[in-house]
Amino acid sequence: MAARVTRREFLERTTVGGLAAAALVAGSRPRRASAAASPYPDWIPASTKPPKRGGTLTRASAWDPPVIDPRLTQSVGTFQFVGLTSNRLVRYGFSDEVSGVADLSLKGDLAESWTASPDHRVWTFKLRQGTKWHNLPPVNGREFVAEDVKYCFEQYAKEGVQSFTFQEIEATETPDKYTVRVHLKTPNVFFPQNLAEPVAVMFPREVLEQDGDLKKRLIGTGPYMLKEHTRKVRVVLQRNPDYYDKGRPYFDEYVILSTPDAATRQAAFRTGQANFLHLTTPSEVDAVRKTNPDTVVQSFHNTLAPFGVAMAQDRPPFNDVRVRRALAMAIDRQKMVDTVLEGHGIIGWGVPYIYYQDAQPTGKDFGPWWQYKPAEAKKLLTEAGHGKGFETTLFYYEYYPAMTSEVQLVQQDLKKNLNIDVKITKLDYTTYYGRYVDNKWDGLSWGFQSGHAIGVDERTYQYMHSKSTKNFFRVNDPVIDELTTKLRRTPDRAEQRAITKKIVDREFDQVLRLWMPYDNGFLLFQPTMRNAAAPALRRTDGYGSPMLARAWFDK
Amino acid sequence: MYKYVLRRVLLAVPVLVLSSLIVFGLMRVMPGDALTALMAESGNVGEKELQKLRKDLGLDLPYYKQYLVWVWQMVSFNPGDSIFTNEPIPVALRKAIPVTLELATLAMILGLVIAIPIGVLSATHQDRLSDYVGRVVAVSGLSMPEFWLGTLVITFAAIWFHWMPPIGYVSFWESPWKNLQQFLVPAAILGFRLSAATMRMTRSTVLEVLREDYVRTAWAKGLAGKIVVYKHALKNALIPVVTIVGGQLGVLLAGTVVVETIFALPGMGRLTVEAILYRDYPVVQTNVMLVAGTLVTLNLLVDMTYAWLDPRIRYQ
Repeated sequence: MAARVTRREFLERTTVGGLAAAALVAGSRPRRASAAASPYPDWIPASTKPPKRGGTLTRASAWDPPVIDPRLTQSVGTFQFVGLTSNRLVRYGFSDEVSGVADLSLKGDLAESWTASPDHRVWTFKLRQGTKWHNLPPVNGREFVAEDVKYCFEQYAKEGVQSFTFQEIEATETPDKYTVRVHLKTPNVFFPQNLAEPVAVMFPREVLEQDGDLKKRLIGTGPYMLKEHTRKVRVVLQRNPDYYDKGRPYFDEYVILSTPDAATRQAAFRTGQANFLHLTTPSEVDAVRKTNPDTVVQSFHNTLAPFGVAMAQDRPPFNDVRVRRALAMAIDRQKMVDTVLEGHGIIGWGVPYIYYQDAQPTGKDFGPWWQYKPAEAKKLLTEAGHGKGFETTLFYYEYYPAMTSEVQLVQQDLKKNLNIDVKITKLDYTTYYGRYVDNKWDGLSWGFQSGHAIGVDERTYQYMHSKSTKNFFRVNDPVIDELTTKLRRTPDRAEQRAITKKIVDREFDQVLRLWMPYDNGFLLFQPTMRNAAAPALRRTDGYGSPMLARAWFDK
Repeated sequence: MYKYVLRRVLLAVPVLVLSSLIVFGLMRVMPGDALTALMAESGNVGEKELQKLRKDLGLDLPYYKQYLVWVWQMVSFNPGDSIFTNEPIPVALRKAIPVTLELATLAMILGLVIAIPIGVLSATHQDRLSDYVGRVVAVSGLSMPEFWLGTLVITFAAIWFHWMPPIGYVSFWESPWKNLQQFLVPAAILGFRLSAATMRMTRSTVLEVLREDYVRTAWAKGLAGKIVVYKHALKNALIPVVTIVGGQLGVLLAGTVVVETIFALPGMGRLTVEAILYRDYPVVQTNVMLVAGTLVTLNLLVDMTYAWLDPRIRYQ
C-alpha cells in the first residue's frame, strides 16, 4: 500500500522542489551585459586561403516572403535570396574585395564599365559579354543583352514599387547588343549608386510576358538558381554552373528555412542547423557563446538609424521649430542606448555618416538641440506658448521588442520634462503602415525609412525633398530642397561630403526628424564559415545577400 | 437518431452564415487592406497606381458585393485565390491541413494517453503520493501556456543536449522518421496542455462513479480491482470526459497557431495568422469557415458518441 502524504508534507516537498528549479533557471539566465564597447570586431577580413567548393549553407530566417516579384516588393524577405539569383548592372564590393567596413566603391556586375556625360544626364553602360540567363525555360540560358536592360527599366518605371526611381529615366537607347545609354530627366551623379541598390535586379522579358507577373518563376543571371520555394517551409538555391564569374559561387546549395520564432532560430544555430545568425544584444551573444564558444562574431555597426519620431510638422504645434527643439532636448537618448540596447547601439541619425565624415558621430556632433537638457527644453516650450504642456498622440508598430521600451521612455521623458501627455497606440504592421504613409495623421508617429536602399541619394533627396513621395517625415524646408538637389548635381567627392554635411547640419538644427536609438546587432558565424562578413551598409542575411556569392566553408 | 442528426445539420446553417458575416465584417473593420500590406516597405507608390491595383484585386467593390461574390465562391467550392500570392486557396489548404491534422491528432492521442491513466490512478489512489503528483501535473499543464513551454523546451534542448527537432517541414510519406522527430515534441507540448483538464475531469468522475451502488456491488461480488475500475467504472465515467475533450478541440486548434510558429510547421495556424496580418481576405475567410464547419461537425460527433457510451441516452 502506498504511503499517504498529508497536504502539509506535500506542500513542503513541492516548495523545496520549486525553489530548486527556480535557482536552476536563474543560474542559467544570461547575465546582463554592461554598457561597455563590444569585445567583438566590426570587420572580419577575407580569408587568405584558397576557397574550397562544396557544402550546403543553411540559415534559419524570420522572413518568409509572400511575393517574389521584384517589381511589386522591396521586402527584405524577398531580397534575402533574389540578390543571389539575380544581378544588377553595378554593385558594391564583396567582403573579399573591399578594404574595410566603410568601403563603398562600386564594382561592375552585369555592366563592365559606365560613364556619364559632362552634365550627368546621360549614362552609358557597357555590358559584360557572354553573360547567360539561368538555363531554365523559357530563357534556356540565352545571352543577357542590352535590350533586356531597356525592358527591365521600362517595366520598373511602368508600375510597382520602384517606379519613383525609374521614372527618372527619360529614354533608354541600345546602340548595340552590349551598350545601354540612359537619358535622365534631370542630372543625377548618383544614378549608378541607385542601380547598385539590391532591389534593382534584372529579370527576363519572357517570364513577364508569359506569366503576366513575376510571382511564380524567379529567373536571373545570378550565382544561384531557385530550386524550391515552399512558403513557410524553405527556399532552396542551387549553384548556377553557368555563372559569369567562373568558379563561383562556392556552396552547392543555400537553404533558407522559414523560422518565425527567435528562440528557434537561436536553437538552430546552437545545434548546427544554421550556419549564421543575427542577434541584437550583447547578452544574447554571450548566451550563445556559452554553448558554442567557437562562434565567430562580427559586431555590426549601423551607419544610420531607420527609426525616429516623425512629427506632424505641417501643422501646430510641431510646425514651430521651438517645439521640435524642445522635444529633442527633453528625450534622453543615451539612456535608451545604455538600458534598452545594453550599450550596443547608436543614438540615432538618418543620413549614413560615412557619406560626410569618417568617424562615427557622437551626440555632441549634432548641436545644441540634441543634448539632453530638460530645463532648457522646458524654457523653449514656454517661449513657444506651451508652458503647461499639451496632449498629443503617437502610434507605432513594434518592429522589434525593444522598440516598445523606447516608445515608453519617450512618453515618460516628455511627461516628466515638458508635461506633454502622449497617448500611445500600438498597431499591427498593415494598419501602421497604411496610416503612416497616407500622411494624414496628427501628432507623432514612430516613423521609419525603408532599409532596402541606403545610398546617399536615397537618404537625402528621396527621403527629404518636399516633392518626394518617400518624404514620410513631412520635411518641407527650402534649404533642404536646394541642398539635396544640388548634391545630385555634384560629381566631386569632397564637395559631395561637404554638401551632405550641410544637409545633416540643417536637419539637426531644424529638428526635421527626431531620430531615435537603434541597435547595432551582431552577426554570428559557425567557425568554418569564411568571407561572409557584412560591410557597413547591409547585412549578409538581408539585403546584403549578394555577398554570399564569395562565402565558403573551410572544412 | 437520423431526425436528430438532420435537425443538427440544419441548425448548423445559421451558425455558419453568422460566422461568415462576423469574419467578413471583422476583416473589413480592420484598417488597411492587402494592397497596403503588399506595398509596405516600399513607400513610393502613387495614389493613381494604388487605385488601379485595388480595382484589379476587386477591393474597390461595395462590401455587400464582395460578400456575395465570396459566398458564391464558397458554396460552389471555389474559394478563389490568395490576394497576396495568387495561389489558389485549395492548393494552400491542401498543404496546410495535413500538417495541422497530424499535429492535432498526435497531440490528442498523447493527451489522452497521459490524461486517462493518470486520472484513473489519481482517483483510485486518492490523497496518496501518486494522486498528488498527478494533480500537480494537471495543474502544471493548465498553468503553462504553449508559447512558454515550447520556447523553454526548444531552448534547453539546444543548450543541454545540442539537439532540437529538425526545422524545414518534411511530410510523413517523404521521411517518416524525420517527420516524427519534427512532430513529436510539439504534439507532446500541445497534448500536455490538453491532458490537464481531461486528467482532472477523469479523476473526479471516476471518483464519483466508484462511489456508485453498482460499483459497490461489483466489489461485493469479489471482482478483481482492474475489472471493476476499467470495465464497470471507467466507461460510465467517460461521458463528461468526452464532453471536455470535445470542447477542447477549439483550444487545441488555437494552440496549434503558437506551436506551429515556434516549431516552424507550415500548418493552418500559420497560414491564418499570416493571412490576417496581410489582410488576405479570401484566405482568412475560407480558413475561418473551415474551422467553424469542423467544430460544428466535431460537436455533433461528440454528441453522437454519448449514445454509444451510454445506451440509456436516446436522441429524439
